[in-house]
Amino acid sequence: METLNFTAKNIVKKFPGVIALGGVNFELRAGEIHSICGENGAGKSTLIKVLSGIHAHGSYEGSLHLGDKALVLSSLKDAEQVGITVIYQELALIEDMTVAENIFLGREPTHNGIIDWHRIYKEAQQLLNQFHINIDPTTRLGDLGVGQQQLVEIVKALGKKSRILILDEPTSALTEKEVEVLLSIVKNLRTQGISCVYISHKLEEVFDISDRITILRDGQSITTLEAKQTNRDEVIHYMVGREIKDLFPRKKTSVGKTLLKVNDLCVHNDEDKAVLHDISLEVKAGEVLGIGGLMGSGRSELLLHIFGAWGKRRNGTVEMNGQLLQNHTPTQSIQKGLVMVSEDRKLYGLILEKDIGFNQSLSSLKSFSSMFLIDSEREFVANDKFFKSLRIKAPNLESIVENLSGGNQQKVVLGKALMTDPKVVFLDEPTRGIDVGAKLEVYELMNQLTEKGYAVIMISSELPELLGMSDRIMMLCEGRVGGTFVNENLNQQQLMAAAMEAK
Amino acid sequence: MNSKLSTRDFSMLISLLIIWIIFAILSPTFVSARNLSILMIEFSIIAVLALGMLLIILPGHIDLSVGSGVGLFGGIASVLVFQYNWNATFAMLCSLLLAVVVWWLMGALVVKQKIPAFIITLGGLLIFKGCFWLVIQNATIPVVKGGNSNLYSLLTTYYLPATVGYILCFAIIAGVIYRKIVNRRNRHAYGFEVESVEISFMKVFVTAQGALLFVLISNQYKGIPLSIVILGALAIFIHILTEHTRFGRYLYAIGSNEKAAFISGIPVERLVIMSFAIMGGIVALTGFMQTAYAGASTTTIGNLMELDAIAACVIGGTSLKGGRGNVMGVLFGSLIMVSLLNGMTLLAISPEIKFITRGTVLTLAVWMDIRLSNK
Repeated sequence: METLNFTAKNIVKKFPGVIALGGVNFELRAGEIHSICGENGAGKSTLIKVLSGIHAHGSYEGSLHLGDKALVLSSLKDAEQVGITVIYQELALIEDMTVAENIFLGREPTHNGIIDWHRIYKEAQQLLNQFHINIDPTTRLGDLGVGQQQLVEIVKALGKKSRILILDEPTSALTEKEVEVLLSIVKNLRTQGISCVYISHKLEEVFDISDRITILRDGQSITTLEAKQTNRDEVIHYMVGREIKDLFPRKKTSVGKTLLKVNDLCVHNDEDKAVLHDISLEVKAGEVLGIGGLMGSGRSELLLHIFGAWGKRRNGTVEMNGQLLQNHTPTQSIQKGLVMVSEDRKLYGLILEKDIGFNQSLSSLKSFSSMFLIDSEREFVANDKFFKSLRIKAPNLESIVENLSGGNQQKVVLGKALMTDPKVVFLDEPTRGIDVGAKLEVYELMNQLTEKGYAVIMISSELPELLGMSDRIMMLCEGRVGGTFVNENLNQQQLMAAAMEAK
Repeated sequence: MNSKLSTRDFSMLISLLIIWIIFAILSPTFVSARNLSILMIEFSIIAVLALGMLLIILPGHIDLSVGSGVGLFGGIASVLVFQYNWNATFAMLCSLLLAVVVWWLMGALVVKQKIPAFIITLGGLLIFKGCFWLVIQNATIPVVKGGNSNLYSLLTTYYLPATVGYILCFAIIAGVIYRKIVNRRNRHAYGFEVESVEISFMKVFVTAQGALLFVLISNQYKGIPLSIVILGALAIFIHILTEHTRFGRYLYAIGSNEKAAFISGIPVERLVIMSFAIMGGIVALTGFMQTAYAGASTTTIGNLMELDAIAACVIGGTSLKGGRGNVMGVLFGSLIMVSLLNGMTLLAISPEIKFITRGTVLTLAVWMDIRLSNK
């Protein structure tokens, strides 16, 4: 099969209330490696979903072309049939099968209805040889490292005679060595006439392997550059390139004593892989510390660990109000005045099938309980106070949380956190998925908190939000501190550079 | 918190009535005072166990070992009384404490070692069954020596005197009316929806009628069985526990969204272990009641009771995924289950058909649960 140019013309994709793609043009030439760069939320994943048929033809405006012919993709399967395969961050492989079985999964060659194992292993070996991958096809997949698994995934796609590969953050879980192998194999594909769309936050890799780079920002394709004729700074400039509007009503308050202090934190995940390295930070009363970084930089893990909900500490100390926190649980953190509003409110924040009152008071029931019973009157009074002050739009406290809008759900989670009477509040992406009006209310709430002498740590993927609402900003990069800044005369380029490269 | 009668509550009431009417037509003795009294004792035994099961299912777990546990801990108490001449009260207390410890351990294994409750309690089912038969040496051990009675045997043979029954009945009606008034006043003050006075009145009226009718019929025979009083006390306790304490709130939160519960500062592990420990106590209590009802501990005591208890919970609207269910539903579910078993026994339906019916009802109930939770 010959590889053809793959083009997307003027793609517009709207979701209720949001324009995810506002006219994107993209051309993948035969046999090239073409990277797509952009901030979180720039529209990369939506574009991939359009290119791979997950967003079916007709659910967006614009057109796809393969060579001269218009292409109608209604599903992933359609895309695979014309030779387009997406390889996702999360592997779609089965650990308990061998490498060869995985490569032929779903299209096992049969002989009279019986699987032809001999052919499977022979052809798998041939494919692996063809791409110079040194893996034994009879190995159980689970016994391979993540990097080699990723290679198997690529071979699986190539075994389906794919001519166009879309690699979505393929290296985010790999070690340096594995990345090297993967990149050399991707480059090798070029010589066999296979084209690749490569999506990565890591600019080094992008420059290492790309022929061309297309930059997306706010759902638009800004420009396409020849990789050899551009540089990091130019790419970052195009990725960020927007003015901060006066959306952020941050009022600075006088700063008090240090409430939370973290020193040289090293934390491993459950598989004992190091995720956070030598992180130190402190936050004072009346202060907003912003934490930024790309996906996978360890932002949420850092706060979750300090809160006592994630990871094993290998080194370092966490000090809250002068008291050391070690091997603590969220229950103890809340008692000490630390509270966390998680990034995914549906997964980690709310009991969706219960009502507003149930959710809001959940973390504070102890303060309304006598020995055994909950004092429903005191509970109601506290619930009602936050229901009114947060201006939650719902008939009353008995409204089921599942039926509220994103912004109102977020307010319920905030109400739950604030009712515990905390001193330090962690907000992980507090404005994700809520409308502008609700965002402003969240920002104003942050101002009120710092005025009362609370300390706030806010994680945000949006650089303007970080710049607009933080007094100080810490950027994380691959689990390390990429830079800590006082928020004066800062610009997005500086932050982006710190997020790309740990010192 | 539930202000309205859901269609589900209503359908339970209707199916219960239909079952009773059918059995009453097929066998008029079904509604005789004597049989209703027997039915009530059988109901109280299953419902006590099902109320314990509610505490396990609410946070999203399951307990398959309770049937064997009922046999074992009833058997231990019997052996202590009959063979070692222990005081019945003391024997039961020791057996109960042992059960609490054993269930506490099972709960700890579930949460600390992350072994699914299904597996732990399946192991428990077999282990307890074996221990049970060892303890009673495959023999029949009466719960009392000679023809006397002790607290153990009285669990299912004592009936309240008629006057005490009436007093209890009026006390309960007064309590229901008082709760209703307080509840309406609070909801009004909180700005919540308040059901119309007529509906409130009807609910109280029907409850009062039911209670009065129950006492009248019971007193026609021997009076209100002690076991019903035990069930009533436990039901009120579990109701308060689930609706008005932190412990109960947390169980619902864990069952609905364990991760959110954990981040909200709920000590998830400790709570699940506690609910298992309570279950242990309830298993022992059910064991005493069931063994006393049979008059002696024999190898078949407790057989398949875990399934009846789970079925009662599910029929009563408890979600097997956790987070949904309440005491009233479980009581209704148990009554439906027991009515079916009792009615079929009266009609002399063969054990084969009884097994098939039990299985069908259980399957239908789970199917309904899945249908309803997908909505």
